[in-house]
Amino acid sequence: MPDDINPERVRLIAEAARVPLRPEAPARIARAVSPTAQRFAAEKVTVPFETEPSTFVVVQRKEIER
Amino acid sequence: MNAPPTLTDPAMLTLTELAAAIRARKLSSVEVTSELLKHIEAWQPKINAFVRIEAEGALELARAADAALARGESKGPLHGVPLAHKDMYYSAGKVAGCGSKVREGWIAPTTSTAIARLEAAGSFRIGALHLAEFAYGPTGHNPYLGHARNPWDTTRITGGSSSGSAAAVAARLVPAALGSDTGGSIRLPAHFCGVTGFKPTYGRVSRANAMPLSFTLDTVGPLARSAEDCALIMQAMAGPDPLDPTTSGAPAWDASTTTRSPKGLKIGVPTSFYVDDLEPDVAAALDATLKTFRELGAEISKVDLPDQTAVAAAALIVLAVEATSAHAPWLRERPDDYGAQVRARLENGLAYSAVEYLEALRWRAPALAAHLAAIGDIDVIVAPASRVVAPSIVETDVGGGSNAEATILGITRFMRPLNFLGVPVLAIPAGHSKAGMPIGLQLIGRPFGDESLIALGRAFQAATDHHQRAPSLP
Repeated sequence: MPDDINPERVRLIAEAARVPLRPEAPARIARAVSPTAQRFAAEKVTVPFETEPSTFVVVQRKEIER
Repeated sequence: MNAPPTLTDPAMLTLTELAAAIRARKLSSVEVTSELLKHIEAWQPKINAFVRIEAEGALELARAADAALARGESKGPLHGVPLAHKDMYYSAGKVAGCGSKVREGWIAPTTSTAIARLEAAGSFRIGALHLAEFAYGPTGHNPYLGHARNPWDTTRITGGSSSGSAAAVAARLVPAALGSDTGGSIRLPAHFCGVTGFKPTYGRVSRANAMPLSFTLDTVGPLARSAEDCALIMQAMAGPDPLDPTTSGAPAWDASTTTRSPKGLKIGVPTSFYVDDLEPDVAAALDATLKTFRELGAEISKVDLPDQTAVAAAALIVLAVEATSAHAPWLRERPDDYGAQVRARLENGLAYSAVEYLEALRWRAPALAAHLAAIGDIDVIVAPASRVVAPSIVETDVGGGSNAEATILGITRFMRPLNFLGVPVLAIPAGHSKAGMPIGLQLIGRPFGDESLIALGRAFQAATDHHQRAPSLP
């Protein structure tokens, strides 16, 4: 994930998603989400290759036996 | 401790007391419903907790419940009890407006599993409750419905998104109500309004035919006066549902474990994040609660949790993208029908790519594994629900100044990591500030340790009276 999210990137993703944005919106969105994106990027997450979203359920359900 | 309420004032009874009194025919369902309707009439103009009041329909159902009991027929443990729920739970043939202009007048074609199970246990609805637009807001603001107001101080926020549920339970308008919790929407209003709120383990209660916000994070749970009352709702509602695959294999509710003594229970207190920069009143409530837990025989120790800011960031990314995905058709066709705050939040979800979203989502399993490794054999973590008591409506509204967004982010800080981890959390009243505003704490459990939290909450509430305090009609 990039350390920064810029307005042009937001504009392009919105265009691809066919969601209309007011002219000032991409800059506002970029400002709003950048701290979150930067924090997650700083974590430098390395997820095992085989992990998928439903692996969460596997970890969670181990607790039932506890 | 307060004197127990009398049967002459049914609105002041807890859900457990009310259900027992109706079952024993010490009170009729019609008496209870009529009394609650009087309270609603008095409070509604002050706090805007209801979006619809269904007086005639409720009284008709109350009469039917009384007639059934007279014939010796009881539907279940909630027989004849009037409840109201956040207006995002579908009931076939009835409006579910979801707090929005977009779904104004929308008639639900199906009934949510949670509602169906509560009705199968004998409850019926007396109306529908206020919420943040599409449950996407932590304050209780709603430009379309008008803002909900805190019964303890009507210039302050209720918290959201289950704003009406918390306000109605706090003001004694209903004995319990369903909320939903995707990023704190049960726990935060429970804290601000001084009621008990329960966010179950993700997968413990079916989300089928409830309005979605973020399918990875959404949980269905009650707000009530006590942990005991939350258990009564959970017993009726929890368990697998073929309409919601995330509940597959989840254990049934085990009521026998909800009365266990906390003696020997291992309680952890975070060394950072959840204890940073607390208002003095909140810190004092935490200290007093830990003292009570010690006196009840629990073993208290410090715990170093993984960095919660990273977990919160992952939760925000998942929430933002899933909510935007669900709303994309309406964002394309009628974006002006959203309020300014919610439209802005939904547009934020456009900033992330599919790879980034899935990277955050795939990290959920390792993040939970790291959390469990960090807590070791600790049963329950105790933490404040928020650094502060309820702020004012004005300072958190659109146009509330440059600090509004920072204030909103600040009040939700201790919420989102726990949705990402999917763990159960019981929010309990634990004191009041010097200004008289409620303070809530979070009891954070292990996955599927829901009943242990109820047991600890019950023991705490048997030893304290914070949960029995009620606001006065302004």
